[in-house]
Amino acid sequence: MNATTAKKYICVNCGYIYDPELGDPMNNIPPGTAFESLPKEWVCPICYAMQDMFDPLS
Amino acid sequence: MKPSVASLYQAVELKQDVGPLLVGERTNANGSKKFRDRLLENDYQACLAIGQEQEASGAHVLDLCAAYAGRDELADMLELVRLFSSSIKIPLMIDSTTPACIGECLKIYPGRAIVNSINLEDGGVNIRKVCPMLKTYGAAVVALTINARGMAMTADDKVATAREIYDIAVGEFGLRPQDLMFDALTFTIGAGDETLRDAAVQTLNAIKRIKAEMPGVMTILGVSNISFGLAPHSRKVLNSVFLHEAVQAGLDAAIIDAGKVLPLSKISPEDLELSLDLLYDRVKDPLKSPLMRFIEHYQAHVPETAADEAATRARRPEQIMFDLIVDGDKDGFEDTLSILLQRRSALAIINDILVPAMRHVGELFGRGDILLPFVLKSAEVMKLSVTYLEPHMEKVEAAHVTKILLATVQGDVHDIGKNLVDIILSNNGYKVYNIGIKMPAETIIEKARELKVDLVGLSGLLVKSAIVMKESMPLYQEAGLGVPILLGGAALTPKFVAQECVPGYNHPVVYCSDAFAGLKAVRDFEAGTLKTTTWDLQVQGEKLKPGLKNIEVVRTHPVPQPPFLGSRVVTDIDPTPLFSYINEQALFRGRWGYRRAKQTAEAYDQLIANEVRPLYAEFKRRAIQDGLVRPQAAYGYFRCHSEGDVLHVQDGDATHLFPFPRQAEPPHLCITDFFRTPAEGGDIVAFFVVTIGPEIDKATHALYDANKYHDYLMLHGFSVELTDAFAEYWHQVMRRELGIGGAEPENLTGFVNQAYQGSRYGFGYPACPDLDAHKAVFAMLKPERIGVTLTDGMEMVPEQTTSAIVAHHPQAKYFAV
Ligand code: B12
Ligand SMILES: [Zn+2]
Repeated sequence: MNATTAKKYICVNCGYIYDPELGDPMNNIPPGTAFESLPKEWVCPICYAMQDMFDPLS
Repeated sequence: MKPSVASLYQAVELKQDVGPLLVGERTNANGSKKFRDRLLENDYQACLAIGQEQEASGAHVLDLCAAYAGRDELADMLELVRLFSSSIKIPLMIDSTTPACIGECLKIYPGRAIVNSINLEDGGVNIRKVCPMLKTYGAAVVALTINARGMAMTADDKVATAREIYDIAVGEFGLRPQDLMFDALTFTIGAGDETLRDAAVQTLNAIKRIKAEMPGVMTILGVSNISFGLAPHSRKVLNSVFLHEAVQAGLDAAIIDAGKVLPLSKISPEDLELSLDLLYDRVKDPLKSPLMRFIEHYQAHVPETAADEAATRARRPEQIMFDLIVDGDKDGFEDTLSILLQRRSALAIINDILVPAMRHVGELFGRGDILLPFVLKSAEVMKLSVTYLEPHMEKVEAAHVTKILLATVQGDVHDIGKNLVDIILSNNGYKVYNIGIKMPAETIIEKARELKVDLVGLSGLLVKSAIVMKESMPLYQEAGLGVPILLGGAALTPKFVAQECVPGYNHPVVYCSDAFAGLKAVRDFEAGTLKTTTWDLQVQGEKLKPGLKNIEVVRTHPVPQPPFLGSRVVTDIDPTPLFSYINEQALFRGRWGYRRAKQTAEAYDQLIANEVRPLYAEFKRRAIQDGLVRPQAAYGYFRCHSEGDVLHVQDGDATHLFPFPRQAEPPHLCITDFFRTPAEGGDIVAFFVVTIGPEIDKATHALYDANKYHDYLMLHGFSVELTDAFAEYWHQVMRRELGIGGAEPENLTGFVNQAYQGSRYGFGYPACPDLDAHKAVFAMLKPERIGVTLTDGMEMVPEQTTSAIVAHHPQAKYFAV
């Protein structure tokens, strides 16, 4: 999957939005990483919720 | 031309070729609870859906009434008329007694409507206001035979009143006879009122005479009033027979649920005879009135028609009841249960229909096919049904169910987690003893023994409660409790349960992530397969620890000037501005459970627009109007300095020490890094405790006590997000007071991402996990002044309260230790 077409996801617990174009510097995730390719240990950088607490954004 | 009315799409003749013109009556806020509830939720789309159902079930015209105490009838009606007239093909009956409202609705209605209604109750005032409008817009009108003395009871009085109305409408205002639809009113013959024994006869005679004496006029009748007070299944028969008789007498239109009319061919000769005897008051047994005979008959038999009718709809009452639960639909559940009670025992209904329906709901939820709020709606119907059936149950019947004791542990007042478990378990057929909050282990042991429960479930909100759970395991062991223990709550993890709790107790100890995990555990227990929680690093893995990675904290950042030193309270805060700080995504998806799940993006947007936002608007309105929210803050600014991992905070003569943990891995952050040392000249730190007060919590509990599960979760969720919003708002107030409010976020995402200067850390969160810090915070801020107290578990009461330490350093952001 390429980064620009990859979907954004929102944390249902706190509203943080994971944007694959930006990655997640708080968790050492480089830009261009699709949500689906995040390591299973990854948690929300704001509230530490796990990945099953994320909803795809339209 | 034949008299007719019309919508934007079609004309409908008032005189139908076969049978009467049927007016759907379910879109009436006074007649249908379902419609009223949707209206009270401002859910106009759902109101429309009820109208569409009526249309689909065969109504020719739709009665629309939004008059309900406390609502703005005109605004509701305008909204509904607009919506209905573009989406519903059958013409509307504008049901209102307010002339101004009638006029406005007629103005915007694109067809020829019927107005419901006019009468002479006020001696002829309103009728003279409405008639010109009817003339202007060419509408038809329902005219009730009510005069200054009240509702006309006898045929003579009914006809005389009709004549008076006729003279005004036709004589004074030039309406055509065919524009008038006379409702000769009917009263119940089902309640045993002697003066009403001939009510049906009076009405039928009046219809005949009105038609004969005022040629050209129409007649209409609210048919189902005739049977008020009788058992639901017998009402359907009587209503249908009465309708038939009324049509014979000349009735043109009937206000009745079109789906509930039986053709005479579906009514047995015996049932027909009994209904006719009752309607015409034919006494055939000197010892028994026709009413007694009618009632006794239906106590003994379920009318065949009830089964027939269900069969024609291809759904048996068993299926209907199952579907009502699954759909969370309360409409008609009593009727359905009363039919079922004729065939099965109450216990059989519960075990064979209701419980399987709830199990199905649980499966749908587990597969992500439905969302939590809908599960709660189903549970509400379940609860209502069981309550309805309870009087029909023998006491012994309840003996064999699995029994569970639920409690929130000592020092903890959090009860919604436990209550949701109660809702799910008890509505899946289990016996739950929910003994409350702040329960010491001793009480739990005592109660478990006394009630002979099969399992114990413990709940808690904070880490302190998790520790209480761990520490009480040996007590349960020593006391010989001997039953499995289920543990749940936000601060628990499977790892903690497996490593800290399991070793203290040698019966199963099971971590439950949510209420459904609890349900599964109870089922596993029954099946003999319940397993103690285990934790395997290899399988589960350690979670990442988020936080800024390459950060070197600047030590020379200027220290802001505090507006004052020490603490203050603010008690007169306007709640309205807080709403714009509510994190709607977290509220809708997180707290309320309206997640996208398997829905398409469009379906989800629809759900949010039609169901969620109206509810949200309603809560915001109630929060203000009912005084549910009273924001108050205790806060302060203090001199401080860091020494290693400890922050020294100066409050007058007292010094409070705040030790914080430091990250074990790079960049090895600790909150103290953001504060200057004594050598660097010391620093300023701030704290706050904010609460929205106890009222909303009370309102929330009242909903739980009333078994309004769905609204209970919703209002609780709203209250907690509003509390968070208040913290966000107050933090901003404090940044401004410190003069560091220059770069503020433009939208909510900015607040989520902390796009402002500095940070606030809530005690109990990873960078400052020690909740005992609350003792020092309370010593400094004295939040008792705003009604906030601390439990021995370091929880703040009321629940809708939150605390934080505020750092001004621009590099201070969230991080995990
Ligand atoms: C909403 C929320 C708040 C709200 C309201 C709190 C409340 N509920 O009344 C507000 C904003 C006020 C708040 C404040 C605080 N919070 Co808070 N809060 C949460 C949050 C996000 C959800 C809690 C909640 O209400 N859930 C809804 C209910 C229905 O869920 P539940 O209780 O967990 O129950 C479910 C399951 O756990 C399970 N379950 C529960 N019990 C049982 C029992 C059995 C037998 C079974 C089978 C299942 C079961 O089933 C339930 C239903 O499915 C959690 C994090 C999270 N995502 O869970 C943090 C969390 C509870 N909060 C936390 C903290 C630290 C706080 C504060 C101390 C922060 C502060 N310094 O102000 C305060 C304390 C408040 C107080 N009054 O003392 C921490 C607690 C950790 C700790 N150190 O103790 C958490 C875990 C966040 C975190 N990840 O760190 N909080
Ligand atoms: Zn989050």
